[in-house]
Amino acid sequence: MKRANPWLTALLAACSLTVLIPLYFTVITALKKPAELAGAGFDLPDDPQWANFAEAWQVTNYPQAALNSALITVGAVILTLLTNSLVAYAIARNLHRRLFKGLYFYFVSALFVPFPIIMLPVIKQTSLLGLDNQLGLILLYVVYGLAFNIFLYVGYIKSIPRALEEAARVDGAGTWTVFWRVIFPLLAPMNATVGILTFLWAWNDFLLPLVVLSSPSARTLPLVQYVFQSQFSTDYTTAFASYLMALAPALLVYLFAQRWVISGVLRGAVK
Amino acid sequence: MKRIALLLAGALLLTACAAAQPRDTRVTLEFFQFKPEAVETFDKIIKDFEAAHPRVDVVQNHSPTAESAIRARLVKDDIPDVIALNGNSVFGELASAGVFYDFARAPIAADVSPSIQRILDDLGTHRPGERNGLPFASNGNGVIYNKDLFARHGLSPPTRWSEVVAAARRLGAAGVTPFYATLADAWTTLPAFNALAGNVPAPGFFARRTAGKTTFAAEYPQVAAKLRELFGYGQRDRFSRTYEDGNQAFAQGKAAMYLQGSFALPAIATYEPDFEIGTFALPATENPADTRLVSGVDVALTLPREPEHPEESMAFLAYLLRPEVMTAYAREQRAVPPVENPPSDDPALAGLMPYFAAGRLTGYADHHIPLTIPLDQLLQQFLIDGDQAALLRDLDREWDKVAARRS
Amino acid sequence: MRTYYWMVIPALALFLIFHTVPVLQGFYYSLTDSPGYGSYDFVGLKNYASLFADDRILDAYLFTFKFAVVATVATNALALAIALGLNARIHFRTALRGVFFIPNVLAILIIGYVFNYLFANSLPAIAQAAGIEALSTNILADPDLAWLGIVAVAVWQAAAFNIIIYLAGLQTISDDVREAATIDGAGSWRQFVSIVFPLIAPFFTINMVLSLKNFLQVFDHIVALTNGGPGTATTSVSLLIYSGGLEGGEYAYQTANAIIYFLVIVAVSVFQMRVLQRREMSA
Repeated sequence: MKRANPWLTALLAACSLTVLIPLYFTVITALKKPAELAGAGFDLPDDPQWANFAEAWQVTNYPQAALNSALITVGAVILTLLTNSLVAYAIARNLHRRLFKGLYFYFVSALFVPFPIIMLPVIKQTSLLGLDNQLGLILLYVVYGLAFNIFLYVGYIKSIPRALEEAARVDGAGTWTVFWRVIFPLLAPMNATVGILTFLWAWNDFLLPLVVLSSPSARTLPLVQYVFQSQFSTDYTTAFASYLMALAPALLVYLFAQRWVISGVLRGAVK
Repeated sequence: MKRIALLLAGALLLTACAAAQPRDTRVTLEFFQFKPEAVETFDKIIKDFEAAHPRVDVVQNHSPTAESAIRARLVKDDIPDVIALNGNSVFGELASAGVFYDFARAPIAADVSPSIQRILDDLGTHRPGERNGLPFASNGNGVIYNKDLFARHGLSPPTRWSEVVAAARRLGAAGVTPFYATLADAWTTLPAFNALAGNVPAPGFFARRTAGKTTFAAEYPQVAAKLRELFGYGQRDRFSRTYEDGNQAFAQGKAAMYLQGSFALPAIATYEPDFEIGTFALPATENPADTRLVSGVDVALTLPREPEHPEESMAFLAYLLRPEVMTAYAREQRAVPPVENPPSDDPALAGLMPYFAAGRLTGYADHHIPLTIPLDQLLQQFLIDGDQAALLRDLDREWDKVAARRS
Repeated sequence: MRTYYWMVIPALALFLIFHTVPVLQGFYYSLTDSPGYGSYDFVGLKNYASLFADDRILDAYLFTFKFAVVATVATNALALAIALGLNARIHFRTALRGVFFIPNVLAILIIGYVFNYLFANSLPAIAQAAGIEALSTNILADPDLAWLGIVAVAVWQAAAFNIIIYLAGLQTISDDVREAATIDGAGSWRQFVSIVFPLIAPFFTINMVLSLKNFLQVFDHIVALTNGGPGTATTSVSLLIYSGGLEGGEYAYQTANAIIYFLVIVAVSVFQMRVLQRREMSA
């Protein structure tokens, strides 16, 4: 074994500053008084203004936006895991049939359809069906996620030996039971990957909530930042406090689940 | 597995609750309005209205991109109960599309000045003779200035173009920024553009342009040249400052003049300037008697073509249009009530009021330019690169293209 | 067998309703003059004919391609370099890997607002203090430089994900292969070109295709940073479709644009996969 390279470590650490500096800047700016903003603004605040957070909390109605974002994200992740894996299983086990093979390409080809084509029809439809709300968004994430998730799941399921299913079937289990009892648990690693990707998508998305949601009370965290951008006006300290609060939940989740998140993404790539 | 399903059911249930409002005998009206700075003013008006109408709840909804938001709502066929929009070309287009109520025979339209009502009707109506919106507040689009700085440098509001230039030069020589420009927001080119375009070319330009009898290249060179000269007197970082920056900087006395309409006054006031603010109409020629003030309907009110709660919506509209409510709104938002001989004791507007009294008004030129032509961005580009021939050529070409597309 | 059908039918139905039908509706609208509401007329292929004569559309495509190509190359070069570094023997590998992934968990729109402030205020202040004239004003306000600001933010955000994909690729290479090469006396550059890169080529392909596809649809970055300006210098196709279609009231016309845009994206992706996969084969 060769020893670790200190120079390379230092170089990478320096590179990682490009990631950390904007975050540092967001934190200190959120804590400043407006008068401290002059110049480059990388110095620490003299007297941290925690009131900025209270102000942003109240102006943007943070609890509601955070609750909306959380509901939509959790709903989208759970429903995606349950349904997309099921569809992928049916397709993966029947890829030799022309119908299912066609279905596979049909779903995956949606990856290349730019959202603007369907934007207005989707706005119309969701509203017509009374889905211009959080529930509708959950549904859209689940449906639009099919394209990429089926691609991921099918690749993974193909690598699961059929012998396991055969054994269960011999014991008299039907296809449903086989899926829920045998396959779904085996999918756990890929479920983690899909869950993480869906979480990041639904939590950070901007365009879909922008056009789909009607009621101001349904707004998600990124949408709220957009809506209040003009109201913050030049009150940059409150604006940054609000940005930080909007970024914080995903950051915290990531900090605690870091290894798990990265290994999940790694697995999705190796598949 | 069961646990997940339970969790999921819970999440869906919660979402459904959050999405659906419980229904009872009360009526909830959605009041959609486009002015972020007027949120509090409208909240107060709504509170007073609700006190008098205990059965009606009014929920205010404002959006920073009100025009695309209202379009999205139209696409959804889910139109807010009462709508306040800027009286611009979007309003005209929506009115022409027949999505707004016809007030032609509604009694509440009586108090409004006919000439201001005409400005709104001229933007477009669904059928000739219809009245698809009611003016709630007018604005004046000129120059906002710092009276203290003017006095200190021995200046009075200019009445000729040459005096504007002379004032800017004198201020510049004394180390004072003549104009605070906020060109990072492309639309802030428009107030000055409208003042010039409303006064320099001969009247009826757009009718002639539509008929193909003239071009921007033929009649707009002076507008472009003067626009460029004005912004040339702006501060060094004029291309990276936004409207909000400008309101703050002007309030801090960082420039003597600000090329904005009266609608910027309330935003400036929030930064508590410690000097007196005045306004004047931008003189674009050498003949003071020719100068007309660009004025438009700052806030137009309307209802959907077929209101869901006609009685309640109409009641709220009638309340908004009460003279005392309009006057109170105008006072707080530094607007001009859209009535004959509008009363205004606002010293900041005093420089504009004679134009209202004498009827020396002209509309916004940009309202005649189809929205799909990115006028503000073309002007911004021109102010950056100074290529006047390119600007005029682009305007003519865009105009012809849109005309061909829509014929 | 019946069960398998029941597993896909509900999803298929929802997908039809929320994806395929809207695509067909979009295509239908592109043949009309509808603003998205109210009455409209059928105009045939007129919108498509107008598209090709519209230099604003052309400018948007040029900008979008310039942006997407540069951002794709920069993202992948950077991501690959960092992944190689992270895969080497270094201290704090896990911590560093964790830091590099952070941008991927942040909302682009909000990060865009933060960078917008940095570009408008902090960077000019630093450049002025350091006497660098070229950077002493807001680069987002300069029509010639604004796109670079957007590239910077896009690369910053997107590199995170690609690093992880490359790391996954690098970890598939067993140490034996490397050691064998080292014993053969191959230098690190030669090792990279002739052994490492060919082995991770499939990961390179997927990263290039997905990056380009995503960058061609750039929207959030631009809304937060320039909103298409200054002038129309940074108006991407997505932004033009959104703003022209919703704010400009030319929904049908911009939907025709979106259909063309779809064909372009498919063509580019297919072309890219062909070329890159051929390279994989021959390498």
